[in-house]
Parts: sequence; structure tokens; C-alpha cells
Amino acid sequence: MYPVLRKVSITQQAFVLNPALTVCRARPSVQHPVWCTDSVNERQYRSMPTHGIGRWKYLLPKRQSKEKKKKGRQMRPIVAATDTAYGTLNVMVSGYDMTLVEHYSQYIHNLCHRLGIKVSESYALPTKSTEVMLMQEVGTKMYVDAVLKTHERIVQLSSLNTTLCPVFMEVLLKTQPEGVQLSVNEHTEDQFKARFKARPELEGLIAQINH
Amino acid sequence: MAAPCRRMANRSLLQFFSHFSRTAVRNTGFREFSSNSVCRASLQTKTVTETATSPWTLVAAVCLQRLPVISADLHPLEQEFKEMMLQMELERSLVSDHELRVLEESERMSRKKADDYDSDEEGSQGNQEIMLAQDMEDAWEQKLKNFQLAPRVTADIDKDLTSAQRCLADSLFLLAEQQVGREKLWLLPQTQWQEGETLRQTAERALASLPGNTAGFKATFLGNAPCGVYKYKLPKAVRTESTVGTKVFFFKAILSDSAPPTSPSLLWLKKNELQKYLKPAYSMKVDRFIINM
Repeated sequence: MYPVLRKVSITQQAFVLNPALTVCRARPSVQHPVWCTDSVNERQYRSMPTHGIGRWKYLLPKRQSKEKKKKGRQMRPIVAATDTAYGTLNVMVSGYDMTLVEHYSQYIHNLCHRLGIKVSESYALPTKSTEVMLMQEVGTKMYVDAVLKTHERIVQLSSLNTTLCPVFMEVLLKTQPEGVQLSVNEHTEDQFKARFKARPELEGLIAQINH
Repeated sequence: MAAPCRRMANRSLLQFFSHFSRTAVRNTGFREFSSNSVCRASLQTKTVTETATSPWTLVAAVCLQRLPVISADLHPLEQEFKEMMLQMELERSLVSDHELRVLEESERMSRKKADDYDSDEEGSQGNQEIMLAQDMEDAWEQKLKNFQLAPRVTADIDKDLTSAQRCLADSLFLLAEQQVGREKLWLLPQTQWQEGETLRQTAERALASLPGNTAGFKATFLGNAPCGVYKYKLPKAVRTESTVGTKVFFFKAILSDSAPPTSPSLLWLKKNELQKYLKPAYSMKVDRFIINM
């Protein structure tokens, strides 16, 4: 019953819309039939029997919230170098101009994302201040001429393919800005330990125990 | 009969420790570049016992680059944007310590000059500074005027194609005129591969054996893997059973020398100038791995 009706109505529509094209076969247009509202997207009201149809998350078992460990206490395992890939490498960017250093390290990070190199960590080492002291022209006293701050940023790569390495290094060298030093070394545990502050009481206690 | 066995040359990984730095343009006119290989693992080349020898002669070439020393000039749009950003940052910025000092001292001076100046009211600042902030600024201005900047572009050096100091803002590539077959061609320095050495060693040999190269270019090779290959089939008349043609493998290297030896048979060219000197098929393959930023 219904299909027949539909065909009739549409053909009538077709004729109305395209009076010129009498020869063409009446094609059912893509319009949705009038009585079919998009009830799939409309939410059912709470009194409707189908209210809440489609909920499923309440059926899953409750997941414990992740216990937050203090990030950074444990060192990430150092990846060893294999035949086809370098191990954990530290790309260190340092310089006097902070904007240049930061932007360059961000550029390196984005480049690694682009090339598919996995970046395990990206951190900054504390800033070192250097005082430039000049001798006075008259007398022996030195006076402070300038204070230079050296900023350092490290991007740690977890594995770098040997085939990708030359390309990566070349891009890095060609885009290195003026006044910025670039250095690539392997990551060692000593470098990791050097980031922590010394704890004199702990060391004192350990020395006492060992005595 | 025992089956013939073939063992691939086994190469352990090269772990390198490199330090690159850019120095002032003035004295060196070049970027210092040093690399010490901490543990350069010895390349174990086992003898390759192959039954079938390939009909191609293997050649290794080196693509030696001099990296740009100064940053490239800004596009006019980039220049305008940079100026706009600087202006915006200046307008949004807060006053720095030094500027505060200058303002305070100028205020103090103006108060001193007023008629009803009472030095007792000056406040609890007991010690007056010996050097006023304004004087310091003047001294700094003087120093800046005395400082001579090296020129970014020197027109006559730029035109000299054999000099490695030309075009400081672009990366240059070394081209040598070499005898190939019967004719002399301009190409990236290359030599033929010999038994028992790795392709990278062949490339190093190619660099060392350049004719204009008495002192030797100090170059650092970026990795063991070649960056490109060029296949050349000999014309049918010359082809024999054992030699169908040559395959040239390219290796990339960075020049770490500030004053490399110059000679008329060695040219330092930018990427767009390379096309004039290289053969079209060769230049097509070379263009693929030459990065020009």
C-alpha cells in the first residue's frame, strides 16, 4: 500500500518540477518521505518508554582512577642502540637568546612529529648566569659589564633510524639560527641524576650508615 | 657439493658525539664544526663470497656541503610582519629595571633644578649613585658605534665560483671536473668502489683524492646510508658481458673547515646554479636529495 502511494506522489512531483523533461523517467528524488522525522537524533523525553535507549557505559565495570605517580622520579628506561637505530639521544639546544632557543627547540620537536621520530621527553635545564667583568681603565678593580644568561633546552628522542638520521641532521643544521648551539649526545643515567638537587641530609645519613 | 654461502657485510652502528656551533661572522666567516666519534665501532667487513657478480660497476660519490653562515634575508612580507610584531610587543611590554632607574633619576634631576629643592627631603636613599643610568646608556651607545659589523654580502667574493666564502646565506655544494670514460664532466666527486671497503669509505677516498686537495677537506659524513643513487647504462656499443653500466651512490657530508683549499677545477655552487653544470639526467637524480632551505 504505502510503496505504491509513494511512487505515485513522487512521479507527480517530478512532473511538476520538470515540465520540460517529458521523456525522462521519473526518478525518485532523494527527499526523505514526509512522515519519517530524524527521530534517531532527537532525545526521547523521560516519560517515553524508549527513554535512555542506547546507554551502555553504565554496564561496564567501574575503572579505578589512575594512581598518580610523581612524574619524573623514575627514569624512563634508556633504549639501547641496535643495528638499525640509535638509542636514546639528547638533542640539546643552548644559547643566550631565550626566544631563539625556545623556538628552535619547538621546531625540532615538531619536526620529529612530522618525520615520525618518537620524542620521549622534552625539558629545560636550569638557566646559567654568566657575569662579564671588565677591568677598569684606571685602577685594578673589575666592574660588572654585563650579565649573560645561557638557556638550555633538551629534546630527548627515543629511537632514531639510521636511514633517517642524515636527513634529520641536515635539516637541523640548515635551520639552526645564529647564536644558538646545537649538540647531540647519548642519554646517560648521570645526565638524568644531574637534574636533581643534592640532598645533603640524606647523603650525611648514608655516610653515617656506611661508617 | 656444499652449497655456496653468501654472507652480507656486517656493519655495527656508529655512535657519534657531535658538537656544532655558530660563531660570529667576523673572523672565521664560517661555522665551526667539530665531531669526535666516541666509540666508532670498527666496521667488520667480512669477505663477501658471491657466486654471481653483478654487471654494474659501483661508484661512490660525495655531496659535500658548506652550510649557510648567516640567516637568509627576509621576504618583504616577513619583514613587515616582524616590524609589526616588534611594535606590538613594545607597546604591550612593561618598563624594565633600567628604564625605571632612568625615569627616577630624570625626575630627581628636575626636582633638584626646581627652586624649592631641599636635599633633606630626598628620602632615605643615602648613597647617590656615581654613575647615572643615563650616563651608562650613553657609554653603551658609544661602544655600539665603535663596533664594526662584517658585511653580509660582498659582491666580488660572491661572483668567484671557486671560493667557499661566497653567498653566506645559502648552502653551497662542491662540484669537481672529473674524467669519466672519454670526456671531462662536471660532477660530484666520485671514485670507483674497491673490494673490501664499505661504500662510505669509498666516498671518503673520493674526497681525499680530489686533485686540488693537498691539505684535505675536513668533512663529517652524516651517517652510513647513501642518500641517492644514479644509474648509468653504457651505450650499446661499449656494453660487454661484465659491464652493463655504473651505479653511483651519493653520500652526504658537511664541510667542517673554515678555509678549504681552492682550485680552479673545484666549484662551490648553489642549488639553482648546479643545473648549468650537470647533465640533465644526472641533475634530476641529484636534485632529489639536495635540500635547499
